Amino acid sequence: MKLNNIELTFENFANEMAKLKNEKHFDYLVTIIGEDFGEEGLGCIYILENTQNNERCSVRTIAKKVDGSDVIPTVTNLWKAADLLEREVFDFVGIKFLGHPDMRRLFLRTDFVGHPLRKDFDMSPEANKFPLTDEPEDDFTVEYSLDKDGHLVETKHRLFEEDEYVVNIGPNHPSTHGVLRLQTVIDGETVKRIYPHLGYIHRGIEKMWEGMTYPQTLALTDRLNYLSAMMHRHALVGVIEEAMGIELSDRIRYIRTIMDELQRIDSHLLFLGCTAQDLGALTAFLYCMRDREHVLNVMEETTGGRLIMNYYRIGGLQADIDPNFVDNTKKLCKYLRPKIQEYLDVFGDNVITHKRLEGVGPMDKENCINYAVTGPAGRAAGWKNDTRKRHPYDCYDKVNWEEITMTGCDSMDRYYVHIKELYQSLDIIEQLIDNIPEGEYYIKQKPIIKVPEGQWYFSVEGASGEFGVYLDSRGDKSPYRMKMRPMGLTLAGALDPMLRGQKIADLITTGAAIDFVIPDLDR
Amino acid sequence: MFDFSNVTIWFDALLRQTLGLGDFWSILIECILVGVLILAGYAILAICLIFMERKVCAYFQCRLGPMRVGPWGIFQVFADVLKMLIKEIFTVDKADKLLYFVAPFLVIIASVGTFSFLPWNNGAEVLNFNVGVFLLTAVSSIGVVGIFLAGWASNNKYSVVSAMRGAVQLISYEMSLGLCLITAVILTGTMQVSGIVEAQVGPWNWLIFKGHVPAIIAFLVFLVAGNAEANRGPFDLAEAESELTAGYHTEYSGMGFGFYYLAEYLNLFVVSGIATTVFLGGWAPVNIGIEGFDGIMNLIPGIVWFLGKTFAVVWLLMWVRWTFPRLRIDQILKLEWKYLMPLCLINLVLMTIIVAFGWHF
Amino acid sequence: MEDNNKSYFGEIGSAVKTLAIGMKTTLTEYFTKKSTEQYPENRKTTLHVSARHRGRLVFSRDENQNYKCVGCTLCEKACPNDSIKILTEMVEDPETGKKKRKLVDYQYDLGDCMFCELCVNACNFDAIHFTNDFENSVFDRDKLVLHLDKEVYTGGSLPNLIDGGAPLEIGKFNTKTK
Repeated sequence: MKLNNIELTFENFANEMAKLKNEKHFDYLVTIIGEDFGEEGLGCIYILENTQNNERCSVRTIAKKVDGSDVIPTVTNLWKAADLLEREVFDFVGIKFLGHPDMRRLFLRTDFVGHPLRKDFDMSPEANKFPLTDEPEDDFTVEYSLDKDGHLVETKHRLFEEDEYVVNIGPNHPSTHGVLRLQTVIDGETVKRIYPHLGYIHRGIEKMWEGMTYPQTLALTDRLNYLSAMMHRHALVGVIEEAMGIELSDRIRYIRTIMDELQRIDSHLLFLGCTAQDLGALTAFLYCMRDREHVLNVMEETTGGRLIMNYYRIGGLQADIDPNFVDNTKKLCKYLRPKIQEYLDVFGDNVITHKRLEGVGPMDKENCINYAVTGPAGRAAGWKNDTRKRHPYDCYDKVNWEEITMTGCDSMDRYYVHIKELYQSLDIIEQLIDNIPEGEYYIKQKPIIKVPEGQWYFSVEGASGEFGVYLDSRGDKSPYRMKMRPMGLTLAGALDPMLRGQKIADLITTGAAIDFVIPDLDR
Repeated sequence: MFDFSNVTIWFDALLRQTLGLGDFWSILIECILVGVLILAGYAILAICLIFMERKVCAYFQCRLGPMRVGPWGIFQVFADVLKMLIKEIFTVDKADKLLYFVAPFLVIIASVGTFSFLPWNNGAEVLNFNVGVFLLTAVSSIGVVGIFLAGWASNNKYSVVSAMRGAVQLISYEMSLGLCLITAVILTGTMQVSGIVEAQVGPWNWLIFKGHVPAIIAFLVFLVAGNAEANRGPFDLAEAESELTAGYHTEYSGMGFGFYYLAEYLNLFVVSGIATTVFLGGWAPVNIGIEGFDGIMNLIPGIVWFLGKTFAVVWLLMWVRWTFPRLRIDQILKLEWKYLMPLCLINLVLMTIIVAFGWHF
Repeated sequence: MEDNNKSYFGEIGSAVKTLAIGMKTTLTEYFTKKSTEQYPENRKTTLHVSARHRGRLVFSRDENQNYKCVGCTLCEKACPNDSIKILTEMVEDPETGKKKRKLVDYQYDLGDCMFCELCVNACNFDAIHFTNDFENSVFDRDKLVLHLDKEVYTGGSLPNLIDGGAPLEIGKFNTKTK
């Protein structure tokens, strides 16, 4: 989607945003992009979506300078999802959000100097020495607001009480699926509060992109959520192709759809396995891993990679499908269907699993939208949020499939949504696999790719939510600003409201059931 | 049926009469010998069990398990033990050093203690008191203290949570465990381990056959409770590697950890051994009342029967462990107090009625 | 998912049933064929590695072992990791007298490579390609710095694997080593 921003000023920002949310029903905050607009100063672009008619709009506002700081009023009171998103903007660009109750850095260390995504950030190695001390951690957080004279004031809030029992779940923990750190206040076995700490695998991909040519940017996407490598790259090539106006052949579209679905099967199988493993059922985990091997084999024959696929490129695909691909995929579908029942037999339908998952980590539809919990976790609460239906791309509007939603709002239904989506992916693949049309697998591009000026946003349905890429091009061979909407960030932000009052074991279960992968949310 | 007491009596006579040693020396030598045998048996069984667990677990999971060290991987466990022996033992800052070091010993004491009650063969019971079963449950409870102390002394928040879980769980499940054993005691009329086994010699005399319905219920509940007692999945909450990393033994390394590891497997064996002793006739061979068949069965030594039956139960428990997901702490307590406990009490009454009216076989 | 209005005993009954189904499933798997592939025992026999797998970069050579690289440095520029370094010199062609660029050294650091295939995409001469030779581990990082123009690549440690090795069948496992 090419962005046509609604421009708002500091003064009318809060009111207009409230109107958009309350009157025009833009209740899903897709992402907030903090950007250094150069001469205009720092600012934010908010991408909003109306969940009734799937209409998208984008709002741009430039931060106001107050006492040397750039400030924008917060929107956390309208969209809860803005909590972590605004902290991210503060961390990378340095805009202070007035009224945000917890204005700490999100990804970088608390003692990091500067804000790396500002264009004047000093990138020299001398200025960015690797720190050799422990990260200082405060028990306090700050809230910024303006007093009546228009000056910036800082209010301190306490994060933990003196005698609270705080356990760090992560960053090195077997079931945080990566290096997520959840500072958890517990009372006995009961969770009282969770503060997510991110950035333990933050690689600054968005910053790196600004210095790379467009083809080079592709190489990094597979390293986000390595289980949705295809989808990540799909979003990136999608936004670049849309910006350049490249028309793809049908063959490319078909193959991309099939590959996306294979990747989804891969990711969902791992999800089923990891959920089982987090609940202590190692055997169910290994059954899933065993069958995932076949999915990877099918993909590897064509792409040459099992985890890092490197398959899509701007204008098409890296290589044509393997001669055995159609055959192999059919065999895979035939093999996999009965196996899904096996996972249910050994784990999913088990009474212990039901007791462990039912009613755990509940979040209803309204809150899911508010916290922007997309993907299977949102669909388990009945929110029809599948990007493949909302904003169809490639062949998703040509194949016959129904979006899966459930109403349980809990971890059990999240599990079943994954199971059903496995069947669904197999259905989609089976519809397409026999009909891959002849044609080019790659539309030849110029050796140096330049994208015309403008701003675009393109999103795909990753395995655990909407994954989007925002591109701001100034006509160069490298992007001016590229920003991802990671699938997991808003999910991690929703952990706290889901889990207050639940047990420690439920924290693990919910973490498994909402299916985030840390390299994706840390970027 | 070979009676092992012949050997012990002969050995005692050898010391006292042939060598002319007094009470003190002969008992000392006998104690040391028995102690060494027990520890050796303990170690050998631990190695067998760990290897068995690895292979059985692998087979349930469509894997091959260890294949490298030695043919079919049979020396893998020796390599592991060697590794564990030469690992550095360290302590955590601000840990309660005394308790921290005592805890693994408590666990291993409880484990070896209960291990010594097992009747290996006719006449080969090591500890054979007239309150055997009673004492056995008492000794096994020492393990809880070890787990609790380890969690507390480690100065680790995960470990404390795990210690709480461990204590709550083990103390709860001791109830059903005890009640199941009492059910069996009602039927046999003795608490002595050797007496319980001897009562089961003869055709269809194993308690599980003799006591039919209540005995089968008691056996199943005993397996569930015993599994929980041995801290094994689906009741491995205290360890819960996906929640509490490794729970109470997170901070142990080298043989400190090794002791917990050993104790876990031997507890599994002990639970299976007690189940065998009490419900499956211990060393008593399968007798069906046909003379020729019984005669052949009786030729097989008792220890083979005992180990065979025990390992069958071990395999059953492994099967359970590698099938089910872990329960949550409130569910585990609910299972015990809401389902197993009432069932055990009803079962106890049922067994009493059956014994009183002589309705058993 | 069934309704939750069962009696105390009905609940126990259905619970035991699901547990029994679980036990049955694992028991069936206990006796089915296993899935472990025994690498490295099978590396010369039943191992399959996709022919398209990106193990390392090699020069494409013709039957006389001549490479096609002209030293244009497009691949060097395309590489996001700077793992390719090319040295060239200008030499005069004795026949035509024209100056022509000649490759002196093509240094490829396998340790830095992220196998993104951008260099292959950038090359206009089909001079480089990836092979599925994956047994590249060495004890010294320096040994990973390869000079592609100087080496004569014959297929690495497992030359018979370049086309994929043993056949692959989806849905079947090969635990054998022979």
